[in-house]
Amino acid sequence: MAGSSTKQLPANLEYIQYEHRLEGQYLPAIRALISKDLSEPYSIYVYRYFLCQWSHLCFMALDPEDSSLIGVIVCKLEVHSSHSPPTRRGYIAMLAVASHFRGRGVATALVKKAIDAMANRNADEIVLETEETNTAAMKLYEGLGFIRSKKLHRYYLNGNSAYRLILLLKAVDPDQSSLYDERQVT
Amino acid sequence: MADFGVGVPDEIARLSLGQGSAPQDTLPPSIRSDGIAVVDITAKFSDAVKTLEPGAIVKDGFFTLFDSVAALEIMDPKMDSGCSTTEAEVEHLYDVSKPLLPEEVLGIIDQLLCHEMSWHLGYPLSQTLFTSFYVEALSTPDPRSIQEATFIRNGGHDPNEQPMLQVLRAYCLGMLKSCGYVNERIKSEHYYEEEDFVTNTYNRTLLASLPTDAIRDVIIEAIAALKSQRGSIPDNLLDALLLRLELRHIFLDAVECPKHMKEPDMAKKPWKEGLAILPALKKSHSLASPVDEAFSAKLQRKLASTMPPRPIVQLDFHVAFGHLKSLFEDGLELIDVLHYTDSQCLLTFVSTFQAKKPQPIVYVRTLLQTFLFDAMEVLGSMSIRQLLDDDFAILTMPAHQYLDRLNDEVEAVQDPRYAMAQQMELFRTRAAQPFLDILRTTCQNRCRVRRTLCHLLRDWESLQVDAEEIDQILQVKVKEQPTMHWSSMGSGGVESYSLPLSSWTYLYKLRQMEQIIQLGFELEIYQADELAGMYWYLNYISKSRLHHTERIKSFVIKRVEETHGQPGPGNPDPTIGAQLQRSLMYTRLSLLDAAVTWELSDSLSCLYTVLNRLKLIKAPPRPYSTDELRYEIRMRPFAPVGLPVLPTFEEFTAGTLQPDTEIDELFEYAERAVEGAKRGFEALSKMTAEESFSVGSHQRWAAATKNGLKSCIATKIAISAVAKAVEKSKDLDNLKIKVEIPTPEKAYHESWIVPKIVPLA
Repeated sequence: MAGSSTKQLPANLEYIQYEHRLEGQYLPAIRALISKDLSEPYSIYVYRYFLCQWSHLCFMALDPEDSSLIGVIVCKLEVHSSHSPPTRRGYIAMLAVASHFRGRGVATALVKKAIDAMANRNADEIVLETEETNTAAMKLYEGLGFIRSKKLHRYYLNGNSAYRLILLLKAVDPDQSSLYDERQVT
Repeated sequence: MADFGVGVPDEIARLSLGQGSAPQDTLPPSIRSDGIAVVDITAKFSDAVKTLEPGAIVKDGFFTLFDSVAALEIMDPKMDSGCSTTEAEVEHLYDVSKPLLPEEVLGIIDQLLCHEMSWHLGYPLSQTLFTSFYVEALSTPDPRSIQEATFIRNGGHDPNEQPMLQVLRAYCLGMLKSCGYVNERIKSEHYYEEEDFVTNTYNRTLLASLPTDAIRDVIIEAIAALKSQRGSIPDNLLDALLLRLELRHIFLDAVECPKHMKEPDMAKKPWKEGLAILPALKKSHSLASPVDEAFSAKLQRKLASTMPPRPIVQLDFHVAFGHLKSLFEDGLELIDVLHYTDSQCLLTFVSTFQAKKPQPIVYVRTLLQTFLFDAMEVLGSMSIRQLLDDDFAILTMPAHQYLDRLNDEVEAVQDPRYAMAQQMELFRTRAAQPFLDILRTTCQNRCRVRRTLCHLLRDWESLQVDAEEIDQILQVKVKEQPTMHWSSMGSGGVESYSLPLSSWTYLYKLRQMEQIIQLGFELEIYQADELAGMYWYLNYISKSRLHHTERIKSFVIKRVEETHGQPGPGNPDPTIGAQLQRSLMYTRLSLLDAAVTWELSDSLSCLYTVLNRLKLIKAPPRPYSTDELRYEIRMRPFAPVGLPVLPTFEEFTAGTLQPDTEIDELFEYAERAVEGAKRGFEALSKMTAEESFSVGSHQRWAAATKNGLKSCIATKIAISAVAKAVEKSKDLDNLKIKVEIPTPEKAYHESWIVPKIVPLA
């Protein structure tokens, strides 16, 4: 069972940024890790949608001994223009850590890497959704500074609702909106 | 253990083919014509592909996340429903002509009931009712007549004649037909597809072409046929089956209840009948013997959908039955909305009905919308003008000359009454939508209520601009004399005009702002260390409402005095007095309601400030955020509002931390405020239905008020527990108490989150 294992966490996990050349080596493991928590699998196109466009916002935690995958975070960063002024909005799409490594800060380290990477690329805010029952995830994100902005009724296929969490990185300055340039995104 | 789930939105859920006629077979276009030159690009394509890395994504700029989620992987059995079973194989998985025992029919019926309720709760037909082989047999191909709607269409009809299959057929026909009504009702009103409900029928019609009366006849025949079996089937089983057929008959009447919008008793009848038989139905479930093989997720293979196959939704019978019972109870209760007395009682009815826990299911919520707004009339008989004028009269304009219907007859342009008629009509046109939106919004799921109110607030903000303009035009036209108005804030007398329309608008705007904050508590949007600040802001807004209501009251009183002072004809219009009294009654309610909100939020804010200061509530480290940035997010819904002015971050911080106030003083403030709130709630709970504008929903209103009172008592207890601990202890870092923040459902009232103070051993 998850959590009952007492496997020793390697002293120094290796955190690396995903690159397309690693697809053959790591994509199957990434899919396997993320699919575990899903009732229905995502097609490979969902993974490639993120990984091919925002590989610089995807990070993996690897076991230094055998370079096997322990955790992964997948994100994107785009101009979000349904609000005015448009904002550069980061989005944490997927986060998963192998069950026997949970509760040891691996997820927090991955989220921090992602936030730093998005902040470096001028993100105004970062959002994500999490299941209302996933208290551990909410605790992690809220500990870093995210707050809940809205509740989404029956957001998941299993009938559970979600919270939208948001981390504002910059104050919104309406006069700055003209500086946003769609071409900077990718 | 930490379970860091996955956050890709379930956009898969949003994929399925639309309704409508069956998909046409598309033929490949003819490429042999004079105008077409055919070029074989196979080789070029193969060459081009060789330049790509394996796994490279080739897409245009319009390829979205949605598209990527929509893509299926061919030959993955979890995604590609076609790769494991063929349609022909599905047919042979179960034989719908096989004889069934009575307990098996009962079992299948109760399984169908669970699926029907799962569908009501928001799961698609593909994972619920459409996993039944019997439903499939009756639905495809779409029967054109009642005779055709049998389990076995071709060949010998003998199996169809079996009494047990007749019972099951009648049940299924009644069920599918009522599902058709439910689906149409929901589609015709405001709801959120996928979120509240899935209306997709995958090209099945839910027996749309079969007349309801023909299905009623089938049910009645089956009841008769079943009764003739008495003796050969054990009585208890036979009665159990009869009850279920009766339920189907009643259900058809219930879904047709909007026909009786003008006769509430008729509309109530089926709901009452249903409630009468439900206990016996529940009891007889123990006789049922489920037939799991009569359902299969593989039937999804036959549905017009691009969705990957999904598992059958399993809902426990007792849970399903609970929802069925609520459906009938809420259905019955909502008919009372037809007993309209005035616009404010209507608002109270709708808001208390929707605040019920658990909230009525989406079908009931859409049915309420139908009763409210059918055919551009409110409650089946009233024009929107009547509703609005009634509301203006209650809130700010009792027996007001602007609302005199005779103004419409004035043709002389220079006559002020002409302007009144014109301007009021203009205002009604602008106000109607935002006003009806309040009712419509209240009928949505609670998450959506909050989100929609945030948008609606902008509409009311711009309505206020219109209202101010019209107020000014009319005030000049009628040469209104200003009064000296003394504000309770002690800023001295000011010359002021009644501004009846903008006052009306502003009152609604303030109420919406309060509601948005309060729903935040109910939906657990705020973290524990934010509670002090959010109650502080609620206090700020309710204080504005209190002052505004005092202002309104002063003008209502002025009107009362004017009316009494008028020499007038000997027999004054008695409705004038009644209208003035009603407005006075309303301002009393409104003042009390604003006051208890103001005082209880004040008390809770102070209490949470103390708990934050004593570190009994600890803020998370939040290395990536600042207080100011989080304040910006919290206040986003209110940022577009001009009045009341958004507090600056510094004001908010000062109000939340109260750095210059000692803990003892904070306890004192909190106690005084909660004492005031308690007295207010006591006064409120003594009000009659008329006084509290809750005619038709007084019970629900009174229960909520009582829960407010209980929240005050719990707050008092919490304050004194902390105060005592502080008093006893020399060390403020070791008070030997801890704080538990209850979830809203554990709190007495969902918008009053009162902390529980627990001693540490």
